[in-house]
Amino acid sequence: MQHSSPSPGVSRRKLLLGGVSLLGYFTFAGPTLAWAREFQGTPLHQRFMELSGRLINHRLDEGTGLRIAAFAAQKYAGLAGRVERIIAIADERDAQEVEQFFDAIPEEDRELAYWIIAAWYSGASSGASDAEQFTFEHALTYQTTLDIVPIPTYAFSAPNGWARAPAPLLPVPRF
Amino acid sequence: MTQPTSADVVIVGTGVVGVVVAEQLLDAGHSVLMLEAGPRVSRAEIVENYRNLPLGLKGSASSSYPPKPWAPHPMPGDDYLQLEGPDAYAQTYIRYAGGSTWHWAGTSWRLTPEDMRLNSLYGVGRDWVFDYDTLDPYYNMAEQKLGICGPSDPALQWPPRPRSAPYPMPPLPFSPGEEKFTRVMKEALGYTNLPVSQARNSGMPFDDRPACCGNNNCVPVCPIGAKYDAATALNRLEAKGAVILSNAVAHRIETGDGNRIEAVHYLDPERQEHRVTGKHFVIACNAIETPKLLLMSADSRNPGGIANSSDQVGRNMMDHPQLGLTLTLDEPYWLGQGPVVNSGIMETSQGDFRADHAGAYFRMNNFARNRYETFNALATGKVGRALDEEIRRRVACTVSIVAAHEILPDANNRLTLSAKKDWLGLPKPHVYYDVGDYTRRSAETYSMPIARRIAEAMGAVEVKEPSAFAQSKHLMGSTIMGDDPATSVVDSDCRAFDHPNLFLPGGGAMPSTACGNSTITMVALAFKAAEALTDQARGA
Repeated sequence: MQHSSPSPGVSRRKLLLGGVSLLGYFTFAGPTLAWAREFQGTPLHQRFMELSGRLINHRLDEGTGLRIAAFAAQKYAGLAGRVERIIAIADERDAQEVEQFFDAIPEEDRELAYWIIAAWYSGASSGASDAEQFTFEHALTYQTTLDIVPIPTYAFSAPNGWARAPAPLLPVPRF
Repeated sequence: MTQPTSADVVIVGTGVVGVVVAEQLLDAGHSVLMLEAGPRVSRAEIVENYRNLPLGLKGSASSSYPPKPWAPHPMPGDDYLQLEGPDAYAQTYIRYAGGSTWHWAGTSWRLTPEDMRLNSLYGVGRDWVFDYDTLDPYYNMAEQKLGICGPSDPALQWPPRPRSAPYPMPPLPFSPGEEKFTRVMKEALGYTNLPVSQARNSGMPFDDRPACCGNNNCVPVCPIGAKYDAATALNRLEAKGAVILSNAVAHRIETGDGNRIEAVHYLDPERQEHRVTGKHFVIACNAIETPKLLLMSADSRNPGGIANSSDQVGRNMMDHPQLGLTLTLDEPYWLGQGPVVNSGIMETSQGDFRADHAGAYFRMNNFARNRYETFNALATGKVGRALDEEIRRRVACTVSIVAAHEILPDANNRLTLSAKKDWLGLPKPHVYYDVGDYTRRSAETYSMPIARRIAEAMGAVEVKEPSAFAQSKHLMGSTIMGDDPATSVVDSDCRAFDHPNLFLPGGGAMPSTACGNSTITMVALAFKAAEALTDQARGA
């Protein structure tokens, strides 16, 4: 497998993010929040995280997952059953990565599966201006470029320290 | 606590122009009372607002600044600005204490001597009533006040003429992508991509603000205050004695004997009316809200509105009409490191062609591309490693090239008062706008052909061209300067011809736009106006 090692700058950033993510969590004020608290720790929440882990080949943030799950439960009727169906497909193929089972997801559940993927990568319920935000700094899109591009509002350089060597397109950082 | 109701000088607006004038007057010993329509907020609040926007709104300059009901400003999809005409004057500005420098990029190109003599040199537009050398010392003052960094190498300075004073800080470094762009432009097209002179602390603290650390969020807010914004000056002004009233919506200017300004009336969030008096008045709300207030204040002495005996208030609305191309390249440029605008090609703004068409300034924006490309990547339907690589490729290999054009003053491009009312019952601004043939001809015969050559030189494999001009949020022209009271609103000191104690400094006074961002020139005009006002206030 081709993975790059996180640079020292990235490691320092992750420490910084550890501090701000707590702040981000408690300042999150979307309408899903109150519902999400009640949703925490339920079987559906746990199974939703299990499914997210099958759909995305990366480490996932629990707080973000809680908010996505709570929103999905409102958006998709019969969510619990659909989650179990998709997990069963992954199990059936003994899939370790999403590439190994995504094509087997039937059409009626594929939109949900891809919505979950999109939510994790974008940190939002859609690209619309009135979308619900689930996370900012944990949105996976930023992780794909974190070795070279800082997350806006954060920084990983000292003053005038961004004249770093350009990064190659591949490999994608490990996250 | 009882609010003060009088001062030597009443200033409406707490943006960069109002703040600069206020500090000059305070330093000269005059009392200052400032009215701000919007709220006063902390930087942390705006940063959190930004971070909590969904990704699809992260590119919006104004969405981190939700307007108060009593102080509306244009927001995506709303109708505060009533727009009409071939081109939409769809601007972005905010009504918050500190004004729209909260979300400016900090770009600070000066005008050139030629930019101020369009009519004499090229037979188009209007000349300024003074020359570049007159403005030069005020530019120096603006650069010191805002903390503008820039190159010491004369070959990299703009305009290309000897400077009378150095920049207070050295230029910010280029990122690898900007270095590459600079090299490609020189080798393929012979253009010099200049370091932007910008109001951002370079390598050192300045003005009690820290050095830029490349947070890449100058628009909509610098999270650490390394970029100058006028909000950073408000506490200092108060320490010097200024009274700043926020949530105070000026809605009427009152005149008295000799057509002098006597008072400004404002409404508070409870819709209660208040009156403040002064000896001198400065209206510095921006080139939309200032003419709106002047027109709203029509009285028996001034039936067409305050300062409007020329009928030029609200006319000559200008901006820098821009065309932005999105390029997909075959090699990574990795935008998003350092400030969001860090360089530009200015030489294309100058030349004898200006007799026929507008010049243009080209820049490669330096915003991190995740906000623009994530949903494009997701639209491919890829998953897993392929999705990771698709996002990464798009973020690395897409760039935005912008051509910003000049525009000529045209009396038909006009702000008037709409019949539609805002929350307080005040009229919304209505703007008719047409960028005009001078600018359109540039796009057809000059700027877009150059942009396509730039794209080719960069190795573009896909080019998305815009279908219409967008606006640059550089509001100019609506209280235009001149030497004839019959055809202009303010004199060379931004003093209203009709009212000896009323000053209207800022972008509204600018008779030409050139191509570079307008704030530095607005601030230079603010210093010039403050000097004249100070002299006038002490009876000199």
